[in-house]
Amino acid sequence: MTEVRLNRLTKIYSGGKPAVDSITLDIPSGQFVSLLGPSGCGKTTTLKMLAGFEDVTSGEIAFDGEDVGRVPAEDRDIGMVFQNYALFPHMTVQQNLAFGLEMRKVSKAEIKRRVQATLEMVQLDHLADRYPAQLSGGQQQRVAIGRALTIEPRILLLDEPLANLDAKLREEMRVFIRDLQKRVGITTVYVTHDQAEAMTMSDLVVVMFDGHIAQAGAPREIYETPKTAKVAGFVGQVNLIEAPMDPATPGHAATPFGPVPVTAPGVGETVTLALRPEAIDIAPAGVPGTPATIERVQYSGAIVDYTLRFADGTAMEVKTIPRHPFATGDAVSLSVDLARFRQLEREY
Amino acid sequence: MSQRKTFLLLLPAGVLLVAFLAIPYVSVFISAFREPGQGTPYGEGYTIANFSRILGDWFYVKQALNTMLIGAVTTLATLVIGLPVAFQLARPDLKLRGLFYGIVLSPLLVGIVIRSYGWTILLGNNGVINRTLREWGWIDGPLPLMYNTLGIVIALTHVFLPFMILPIMSAVQGIDPSVSSAARSLGAKRPTVIRRVLLPLAMPGIQSGCILVFVLALSSYVTPALIGGLRVKTTAVTVVDAMIDTFQWPFGAALALTLSVLGGGSVLIFARLTRMKWK
Repeated sequence: MTEVRLNRLTKIYSGGKPAVDSITLDIPSGQFVSLLGPSGCGKTTTLKMLAGFEDVTSGEIAFDGEDVGRVPAEDRDIGMVFQNYALFPHMTVQQNLAFGLEMRKVSKAEIKRRVQATLEMVQLDHLADRYPAQLSGGQQQRVAIGRALTIEPRILLLDEPLANLDAKLREEMRVFIRDLQKRVGITTVYVTHDQAEAMTMSDLVVVMFDGHIAQAGAPREIYETPKTAKVAGFVGQVNLIEAPMDPATPGHAATPFGPVPVTAPGVGETVTLALRPEAIDIAPAGVPGTPATIERVQYSGAIVDYTLRFADGTAMEVKTIPRHPFATGDAVSLSVDLARFRQLEREY
Repeated sequence: MSQRKTFLLLLPAGVLLVAFLAIPYVSVFISAFREPGQGTPYGEGYTIANFSRILGDWFYVKQALNTMLIGAVTTLATLVIGLPVAFQLARPDLKLRGLFYGIVLSPLLVGIVIRSYGWTILLGNNGVINRTLREWGWIDGPLPLMYNTLGIVIALTHVFLPFMILPIMSAVQGIDPSVSSAARSLGAKRPTVIRRVLLPLAMPGIQSGCILVFVLALSSYVTPALIGGLRVKTTAVTVVDAMIDTFQWPFGAALALTLSVLGGGSVLIFARLTRMKWK
């Protein structure tokens, strides 16, 4: 079990602006951490530095307190799963799994035993003698994970491993990877641009933009208390409300639902508030609440999305279970638990 | 497109192939089993005498074996020289790619006769190489570089190098770079990555390069004729002698057929030995 610490880790490609800009992050031993962000945010570069495939420009990567930033990839003892699996096409499943152990000069008998154990772990014992080209995408994925784990590495790195799978298989593999990681107890860093993957699998989600860590926290914390509009928007749908300070109630911002306590700037300025679409209750007109009109209905079975417009012209998204058969043009009444509002930090 | 239209599109190529490839091959095959003719390409009746003449005469057997040896050594030489070049050319970060491609292809851009004469200037007893070495006092008499098997191999290696480099290069370019990264992450150092991963994955290119060069070297005529002169003749040269100079068509055809069988057999055995189960 390995604890990973990134200390002001920076990567600058020749002559460009930093791809990874002084990020500091502690990953407790045995945790599943996702680096989440759009392409070009530095998450993959960070992973490559962790793996040893990219040089560190400055800063430190420490495994259990030992700086490994200059240790070449082949000596770093990491297990890596690539987006395209990167299996050895000329080796059978069994040979793929044995490769790392052969590099470690493990005895033949021990290799055989451990490969068999891995085959069982990734549920591929019936395909041991197949070549990668003869396997389905999901099976190849499991070989890749097995190959990374047979060497019992200090940390497991996964680079968008589910990106090439179809939607149904992706969900199965999410559960599979998460269960396996829990069972093995290995410290894991998972790179993805898919917020649902990051949220469902991780102990810790690290949201990255432009080479910086925008916010790091448990999935629930990131979703419910996002620091900025960008983070809020990246991990889910959000209503952003530019609210003026309420002259009547000091320390509160005026919203269509009433005054919301905020850490005030000066009077007359505005604050940005975030409100998740599912935090809003929608009821027929006449029920006490804030009146609005339904502009668009998107019904998808378990849930329904409404686009609503207030009398002052501002719009808002509401997500709810389909309780009332509202239609476009209906007048409705909205209510919100004011505690669900989040004040966001300004981004400059 | 309908079957019929597809067939029409294939027709021109089909006619060409049948008229200028299939029929001549069949004709060579048949005349190899004919009696020699008097004032005609071949005489009446069928015989295997042409083949017994070849197999019974150590001169022809030895010549065929030497031709095979030239093919094998040329293949090996182009492989040894070409493999590292192909790996370097396949690097995705290669600069001046066009220039290097041009250099690799340059042997093919010079006419075959001119190129062979160029080699005679370099390799002859009074050639550039021997004269330079003599002036430097490294040798007393000229090194035998011309009119022997070595000279033929040198000249053939030069011209067939691109046929080795290009297939290997394209095979190496087709290797997913993350496969090497995966090997490294599993603990393989660079030489091990090359030996255990890159070379096996380049095998399809190595295999086709070897087959191409071997077959081309076996059947080459102009270079062995000019560099080998009267002293060393390959089977291909003797075939032409038999056909053109002494007008023994059935014998020439039998010799050509023998060479084809030897060459084709070698290629089959080679392909069998280097078979890749994962393909």
